[in-house]
Amino acid sequence: MTSTSLPGQVAGQDENAATADRPGGSGSRLADWRPGGRKLIVSAVMAVIGMAFLLPLVWLILAAFNPHATSGMSAPAFSFTNFRAAFQAGAGSAIANSFYLAGVSTIVATVVSTLAGYVLSRHYVPLKGPILVIVIFLTGLPVTLLLIPIYQMFVKINWLNSPFYTSLVLGATSVPFAIWLLKNFIDQVPRDFEEAAAVEGSGQFQILWRVVIPLIMPGILVSAILTFINSWGAFLIPLVLDSSPGDTPGAVGIYEFITANGQVQFGPLAAYGILFSVPVIIMYIISSRWLSGGFSFAGGIKG
Amino acid sequence: MATISIEGVTKSFKGKAAVRDVDLEVADGQFMIIVGPSGCGKTTTLRMLAGFEKPTQGVVRIGGRVVNDVPPKDRDVAMVFQNYALLPHLTVEKNLSFGMRIRREPRKTVEREVAAIADMLGITPLLGRKPAELSGGERQRVALGRALLRKPQAFLLDEPLSNLDAALRAQMRFELKRIHAQFPVTTVYVTHDQVEAMTMADEIALMNEGRLQQVAPPERLYSEPSNAFVAGFIGSPKINLVPATVLRDGSEPVISLLSCRIPVNGDLGSVLERMDGDAVTIGLRPEEIQPCPAEANGTPVVQGLVELVEPLGSETHVTVRVGQEILVCRFPPRSGLETGATINVRFDPQQMKVFDADSGLRLG
Repeated sequence: MTSTSLPGQVAGQDENAATADRPGGSGSRLADWRPGGRKLIVSAVMAVIGMAFLLPLVWLILAAFNPHATSGMSAPAFSFTNFRAAFQAGAGSAIANSFYLAGVSTIVATVVSTLAGYVLSRHYVPLKGPILVIVIFLTGLPVTLLLIPIYQMFVKINWLNSPFYTSLVLGATSVPFAIWLLKNFIDQVPRDFEEAAAVEGSGQFQILWRVVIPLIMPGILVSAILTFINSWGAFLIPLVLDSSPGDTPGAVGIYEFITANGQVQFGPLAAYGILFSVPVIIMYIISSRWLSGGFSFAGGIKG
Repeated sequence: MATISIEGVTKSFKGKAAVRDVDLEVADGQFMIIVGPSGCGKTTTLRMLAGFEKPTQGVVRIGGRVVNDVPPKDRDVAMVFQNYALLPHLTVEKNLSFGMRIRREPRKTVEREVAAIADMLGITPLLGRKPAELSGGERQRVALGRALLRKPQAFLLDEPLSNLDAALRAQMRFELKRIHAQFPVTTVYVTHDQVEAMTMADEIALMNEGRLQQVAPPERLYSEPSNAFVAGFIGSPKINLVPATVLRDGSEPVISLLSCRIPVNGDLGSVLERMDGDAVTIGLRPEEIQPCPAEANGTPVVQGLVELVEPLGSETHVTVRVGQEILVCRFPPRSGLETGATINVRFDPQQMKVFDADSGLRLG
């Protein structure tokens, strides 16, 4: 098979690629590299994976607008009956509660992580290496493990059934990753900026507020959005720590549509699912824009 | 306006000394340039003045006040960084006024002074732009403007011209001198470029391997180097450093250099008297060596082989091999010399600089 010899050849000629001395230019290189048969297999696998993700979404949309939705694919229809039912079942207040939990936890986690990330990036901290290893370890630790001791702690200090304290725990679960992310962003900020601000008369907090935070704004927004999405979808923590009916957030409220004997109201459930997803989808769109927008200090320094 | 004094300052990083026992006085309004090869400790010295590094030993004074423990923001100095360090998220105007806004000066004052400085530096049309939209020279001017608006007791400049191209560098050298004439603020300027040092400084402090080698005005540094390192660092093409031996001819000491025996008397003679048989290094500036006919009277003449001819238009640099040694000479233009030719050159023994071969210290 000729293609076996090609990768080496391609690598060897890579530097010459710019001169386009090969017939067909770089476009034909990809085609050479993946002969028709393999391309077809790859496409087929991708299609199957794509369907696995797409079908539930299609079901969700179809079911949400069909007043007679079942667990099977519904026929296309256009009715807001299910949305009305979802609101009657408390979708509005559940989403408002989710906004509160996600909002407070995002603010708390972002402030804490920015300060911690700055100190870990810039200052002398005894045992900094081990601390960073622990932070990375905590990013991967399942919250479930901590939930029982946290519950007992909440019982002791009487913090149960409070949306505020619940959101503190939600925020805390995002802090390790946010610290890690923001520390890496701050590491990229050249110290010269801070030194320039310092000789101009800025103190530590002014440097943080006027120099570092504006420069890592993309990082802060990404971290905030990820924290928000994480808290938005939280199920177990609010379920365990805040059981008062008025505080039910979106992810817990979905149980309204599953009755005690196992009957599921598919239509309102789908409508509720769509309502609950919209804020997260908007967040993803914003965050992807920030991520692709990149992060550069162009012009500030040269070196 | 203030004097700066560095007294017995040493700075070590993890036990390695970057600056060793440096003493330096900068007079009020003086333009002091610290020059030296990379890693000589010049930038570390400047950073100790700015307050970014704390001396391991010794005292730093600005305006008579000991500032060892004073943070940068309270030192009242302005700094221009090698890479400008303009804040990329702020416009030129905001960058210029950054310090004044930090110090909460009235908005009217800020606007007036920013406009005046921008006008003086010719950057008024750039005020609304971000640093990324500026050229290197424009960024440098903004960085200078920011420092000027600080109205500091002292200016600290860390290789401010090294990122500019040659033509712009020459222009900015001139502008910096002009600005200093207009605002005679005590200035410490760090560079590795001897041309910048020679052309701009009131006094040059030359450093090597963390130690101060010599502090002198540019011309004296050139004509009276205190050691072989200073002699070799300042001057282009470099000074010729040729090994020689001290001998004795009757009661008079003589220096055996290349094929010549040069009698020495006066002060130098009395120093060399005690060094019979010792090795010395002779420094001869390229312009101190001249072509001559075979038998010139009085001055030492050596014969060599032309190895390289570099015509520069206004002058010609000629590399001559004499035995094992290489002499670089600065001859007039259109010397008519060709590679491989035999040539006689002479030099004036009065101009040669004698250094101790071991310590490199100037003997005379």
